[in-house]
Parts: sequence; structure tokens; C-alpha cells
Amino acid sequence: MTNAVSIAQGGSNNVTTRNRIINGAGLIDQRNSGSSVTPSTNSQYTIDRWYAELSQASKFSVQQNAGSITPPAGFTSYIGVTVGASANVTVGAGDDFFLTQAIEGFNTYDIGWGTSNAKAVTVSFWVYSSLTGTFGFSLEANGNNASYPILYTISSANTWQYVTITIPGTAIGTWNNGNGIGVKARFVLGCGSTLSGTSGVWSSSRALSPTGAVNLISTNSATFYITGVQLEAGTTATPFEYRQYGTELALCQRYYIKYSANDANGGYASFFGGSTASNTALVISPFFPVSLRAPNPTQTWGGNLRLGYSAGASATLSGISASNQQIGVTGGYGAYTCTSHALGAQAFVLPGGAGDTTAYWAFQSEL
Amino acid sequence: MQYKILNGQDSQPCGVTIVGENIFIPLYEGNTDYQQFKKDLANGVALSDAEGNPMTADQIKTFLEGLA
Repeated sequence: MTNAVSIAQGGSNNVTTRNRIINGAGLIDQRNSGSSVTPSTNSQYTIDRWYAELSQASKFSVQQNAGSITPPAGFTSYIGVTVGASANVTVGAGDDFFLTQAIEGFNTYDIGWGTSNAKAVTVSFWVYSSLTGTFGFSLEANGNNASYPILYTISSANTWQYVTITIPGTAIGTWNNGNGIGVKARFVLGCGSTLSGTSGVWSSSRALSPTGAVNLISTNSATFYITGVQLEAGTTATPFEYRQYGTELALCQRYYIKYSANDANGGYASFFGGSTASNTALVISPFFPVSLRAPNPTQTWGGNLRLGYSAGASATLSGISASNQQIGVTGGYGAYTCTSHALGAQAFVLPGGAGDTTAYWAFQSEL
Repeated sequence: MQYKILNGQDSQPCGVTIVGENIFIPLYEGNTDYQQFKKDLANGVALSDAEGNPMTADQIKTFLEGLA
């Protein structure tokens, strides 16, 4: 019997949609397009779906394929963490540094945590680090009242190693079953005693790192790379669930959609439709390619933007400030003031790129 | 970092921005950036009104209470 057949017959663990982690191989990087980012604020997103938790700013960077090493067989990408060359971090009791993915409750409710029917889950991943020793991983309920820290060992430096961890179900804690955070999965980069606890035990307090875990963050220039991260129901680590690129991108876009002129097609991409209300007012009407997790996304924009309006003519779009917004999960209406575009009122316009790769407009509905 | 209130066309707050950044954060509890905004205010990060005037702790408290 093949592994795949066995999984299908198991019933609780489908051949597809096994992996509750999105972008576990770091293949999608809408925000940074492969460039390095050094998180300066807590909960800053890096590669799609992965965010940095930190108690000290700008101590490590995250980059798709950092260091340009060869990924494990079967992968073309990985998520790379590099400690700053002069980070000089001494981890105090209250310090914490994690690379985290929050998994939506809709994608974990069947595991039944917080109930008497709670199932075990198995986490598997490939890891490569310049350091060796016992490293930390943890899961936590959205209610911050159930956590499970666990040690795993990296035995050889600068060598890809496959890790599997099975975590028993738990009846404790408050777990979201909707479009909020179901569970937070954390790779420990450094953690003090305040948020540390006994490895391999469910705790009703915030034990986000197993006691005794390596504090990677305390070694300048240390590297920590992961790929093939998978979290699935059951006690068996099955092969990493490869998804088609378009599927993985769409899964990421539920949480973050970036319209970008960096599309290898001249930099004149139009992002969405819009209209002018005066020389200094703009209304946009985005229709998202996938439904967002929740309405009222955060918006960011930048680069050399323009308003296309007829037969290749355009006006510069700058000085944007949002006002009334009615943006739901599938799209909507956003009003802005801006520097004069001199198009007057009631012009149909296409906000987009001005001929280089810099222009973007993004909508974030992260957990 | 400093936040600034953004008013809508009815001159009522419709969101906040971070001064110097091109960002709009809606006043919506389900938005994690809004949740972070409230945490940041609790930790002493500054907030200015829509005209750019720095707000006192009492004014910020009143503003937040008005959103609840």
C-alpha cells in the first residue's frame, strides 16, 4: 500500500489540503520580491504569511533564498533568517524573537483543539542552520491560554535536515474556529525565561519557547533556513504537499494582495478602475482576485504611480491620503485626496505604474 | 513612529495613518494593524489629530472610547 493510499483511507487527512501552513516553502514573496527585509516592528510581515515577532528592532533579516544555497531535493525555495552582523543581542528574560505563521481558524477547526475530541498534529520541515544544538518550535492558541513548546535537534551545521514533530491534542485553551487566528506556529530565534516553558508539555500559560532552546539571535551573522513546513492532522508526517503555484498564490492573497507594476511587462500595469471627483480627489474600485479574510484591509501604496485616462495619456498620481473607504472582502470603493492630477471631475482613470517597476498598491488582511 | 487620524468626507475619523508612510489603517476591530495601533497607543506611541496636532493622553482615551 502506498503512502498516498493510506492517507486517503485514513479519512481525517486528505491527500490534498493536508497542510495547514500556507507558503511553507517560501515560494511566494509578494511584499519583497526576493529582497531582504529587516523587521523593525513587532508582527512585521516578511515572506507571504510569515511574520517576525521581536522585542528588539532590526536584529535579523528574512529573505527568500537568503545565502543562495541549494535547497533540499524537490524544492526551489526556502525562507532564510540571518542575524545581523552587528546585532549583538543578549537575550533578556522578557525578550522574544520568532518567525511565526498564524493559521486561520477555518483551516484548523477540524483538529478539535480545546475539546475532548482534540487530535494530534504533526509538524514537519527541512531546516539548515549555521548553528547546532536543540532549537525551539511552539504552537499557541489564539486565546494565549494554551501553548506547546518543543525542542528539536540540529545535529550538523550548514546541512539540510528533515525534522518531524508530533504534538498531542489538547482540551485546554480557547481556539478560534472562524476567520480569526486558529493557532500560531512559531520557530524560536531567541526567547527569554518569561515566555519559556517545559518542552513537550501543553501549558495554560504562554510558553512560546521550550526551555533550553538555542538563542540563534545571540550569534551575529548566524543563519537559519527552513522549507517544506507542513502542519497536518494525525501522527504521521506525510510528504510535503506541493500545490500549484497559482493555488499557493491565491491562498496567500486571502491575506495580502499586491497590485504591482513589477510584472516584467513594461511597468505600465493598471491595478484597478477608478474615477476622479475633482482635481485633487480620486476614487478607486478594486475587485480582488480572491476573497479577503476580512473586510476593511490595511492599504499601502508607493512608487511612481500614474492615472491612465485615454489612449496612453496619463497623469502623475502622488500625495495620496485615504478618506472614506468601503472595501469589503471582494472589493469595493476607496476615496482619496491627492496632489492635483488636473483631470477635473468625472474622469474614468486607471491607477497603475508609470513605466518602471516601483508602483504598487497593496491590501492586507492578515491575521 | 507616530500615528495620525484621517477624516472622511463627513469630517469624522475614518482611519489612521503612520506619519511619513503611505498607509491607511481602518478603524475596524478585525484588522490586525488596527489592533496593533491600539497596542502601540497603550505603549505610549504618539497620535495626532487630523490637522496634525499632537493629542494628549486624555484626548486619545476619549478618541478610543468613541470608537468602542
